[in-house]
Amino acid sequence: MILSTAMTAPPTNPRFAEIESHRGYLVRYALSQLRDQQLAEEAVQEALLAALEGIGKFDGRSTLRTWLTSILRFKVIDLQRRLVAERANVALDDDRIVEDHDAWLDDMFDETGHWRSPPQAWNDPEAALEQRRFWEAFEMCLAGLPSTASRVFFKREVLGEDTPVICKDEGITSSNCWVILHRARIALRGCLERNWFGREAVHGR
Amino acid sequence: MDAEDDLNCRQASRLLSLACERPLDARELRSLKMHLDECLMCTNFEMQLRFLHKASEVFRNAG
Repeated sequence: MILSTAMTAPPTNPRFAEIESHRGYLVRYALSQLRDQQLAEEAVQEALLAALEGIGKFDGRSTLRTWLTSILRFKVIDLQRRLVAERANVALDDDRIVEDHDAWLDDMFDETGHWRSPPQAWNDPEAALEQRRFWEAFEMCLAGLPSTASRVFFKREVLGEDTPVICKDEGITSSNCWVILHRARIALRGCLERNWFGREAVHGR
Repeated sequence: MDAEDDLNCRQASRLLSLACERPLDARELRSLKMHLDECLMCTNFEMQLRFLHKASEVFRNAG
């Protein structure tokens, strides 16, 4: 569905590929706000189409990604208003979340609390930030987290929101928020090590 | 040395993640430092947390 709708955008627009390359980030952003894959993709689709039409108004004072995000934010707010009208925001089951994440952490460490899969030294990680394929791996790893962990991590680390604000929005306690972030960070580092930093010998850089 | 201050990697990783959310107290800091002095794996984890933080910031502002 994404592909077919993407194709309806005018491919003759010279900025099309450039704008389209931000779709992955924008979907993560929308998901962090909307918790619903289909709605998130809908919001991103509308935002990208609006961006293509209005690209002439982009003045380059911010990055293209920041500009696209600001367009998306309006679409997201529209959808949130619609959602609030349709259904009460369903609070998460606090206890179950912590049980799930604790159980997952149990698997990461042995009975004596040692890493089962010890973190390795990463060679020149900063260099990865310059590589397009690293960002594909980064997006894939974010998308591979459980939805709560992905959303909370995105709000905390990518958007830089304060933890108390995030916990309040999510309707969970601070300590449960911390458990979720702890899990997210361990899972992300593991995913990046498996898919990027552990494979340096394979992909050369 | 206080035995209950001896951390294992699971506890140390929890404190390292927690340090991204709130300042650690003196006792937490002391036991974490003691653990990191001896544990290369958790030192690697600490550097990876810094990297995740940096990468997330770059992710937000990318071209």
